Amino acid sequence: MESKRITSSFRDPSGFVFTDGDAVKRAVNPIYFPQYDALTQSGFYTTLFEKKYLIPHREISRSEAQIILQAEKIPFVNYPYEWSFLQYKHAALLTLKIQKLCLENNFTLKDASAFNIIFHQGKPIFIDSLSFDFYEDNTPWKAYRQFITHFLGPLVLSRYYGSDHLKMLASDIDGMTLKKLAAILPLKSFLSPTLVANIHLLARYEGKYSASKQAVKNRLSKIAQVKLLDSLYDFINGLKSDENTEWDHYYSQINYNEESYLVKKEFTRQWFADIDGRTLIDIGGNDGTFSRELTDKAELIIVADVDANAVAQNYKQVLKNKEKNIIPIVADVLNPAGAYGFNNQERFSFIDRVAELKLSGCLALAVIHHITLSGNIPFDLSARFFSRMAPNLLIEFPTRNDSWVTFLLESKRDFKDHFDFYNEAEFERSYSVYFEIERKLPIRSSERILYSMKRRNNN
Amino acid sequence: MIALYFDPGTGALIVQFIAAGVAAVVLFYKTIMGKIKGIFGMKAKQEDDFMEDSDTKADDN
Repeated sequence: MESKRITSSFRDPSGFVFTDGDAVKRAVNPIYFPQYDALTQSGFYTTLFEKKYLIPHREISRSEAQIILQAEKIPFVNYPYEWSFLQYKHAALLTLKIQKLCLENNFTLKDASAFNIIFHQGKPIFIDSLSFDFYEDNTPWKAYRQFITHFLGPLVLSRYYGSDHLKMLASDIDGMTLKKLAAILPLKSFLSPTLVANIHLLARYEGKYSASKQAVKNRLSKIAQVKLLDSLYDFINGLKSDENTEWDHYYSQINYNEESYLVKKEFTRQWFADIDGRTLIDIGGNDGTFSRELTDKAELIIVADVDANAVAQNYKQVLKNKEKNIIPIVADVLNPAGAYGFNNQERFSFIDRVAELKLSGCLALAVIHHITLSGNIPFDLSARFFSRMAPNLLIEFPTRNDSWVTFLLESKRDFKDHFDFYNEAEFERSYSVYFEIERKLPIRSSERILYSMKRRNNN
Repeated sequence: MIALYFDPGTGALIVQFIAAGVAAVVLFYKTIMGKIKGIFGMKAKQEDDFMEDSDTKADDN
């Protein structure tokens, strides 16, 4: 089988990750052997596995030159810029929990990158087995600044200015500089002692010592470091985003006719059974209402929505129901996460990550009118997009008489005529290039049509 | 201890002493306020812990 080093794994000289056929493996270099042995023999790795803080690994071979670990495979890698506020917050809290536990066991996290956390089986989990180092008495936390730029910065900016700021690591892969962060924060941030100390003061000291590589002689006792972690934990735990968005409680607000709601649910269940579905992506899935119809059958459901609040609602339900097979993510179909980082190969694009999963189906309910009429995406291009998601598509088409469609068309004002192509016949014609239409069901007492389609082989 | 593969920043190492001091004061204040509220029968709202309350080993396969 082909063994291939993962292109995102190069920053840490302790080792690297590679794929070996289907398996994900990690090579540990001799420079990290002492830490690895201590972590294993002390039972600390096992503690982390049992608490579900760290993705489990097992040693599969060992030589003087290299130790090879095999890690539990995470099917869908998701990134910080795809999380809702609550998910981001929980990822930050998990990092702090791990660091505190490390200190109790005389280890420390040597990095605090948000990319070390992935949402997997309903919860955030730390994925880098080699991020741990020996704790030396009275030394400060070396990953502190990274924690601030990767976690506290984006969270606080979102708290003040909205959840778009959670996407910060997409443009600045290591987070915004502290100077910029401090400059952007509003004056009232000076009222918070935690923000004054951990951002404003930090930014000032960074500037002052930017050229200095001197060894820091000050001592920070373990107790003091734990206090620092506790206060950051309390502060982040108390952060709330109180943004109201268009799609909040969408289903409870919109006047969905009860009957058509049930028809849609039944159609979805039937379709998923017909395609013998195991895995699914729900595009524009809001809080996952329709995906939840399939949780008993599906191994993995990715529910993607542009609205961070809807995604947070979904995540809350995942936590409440302890659902392990739903991954809620923030994704904008009109601008999905790209490939970022060195060689454009450190962080993979949304479409590549989804395509690699070879999912059974794609659900696209009540979304095509937004793509077409808000995003001005021609049917041909949206069909191409959906054909890359999965071989089976369930798509809902609201006709021109639908109230939402009428509203969107009216908002085009003088250019309304340019959207005459938005009709059932044109939709079917364009989508037939990529898909074979298998079933078509106009929903009674509504102006909407459900289609199930199968991808043509030549695409 | 192996050398870090990124620069932790001298400023960030120094500031932690101050930040830890601030943290101690903030935590102390919160504890005192919690006690005062406790005397008057106002309970602090407990946040659900997203990690611990979830699964136990029983539901592991």
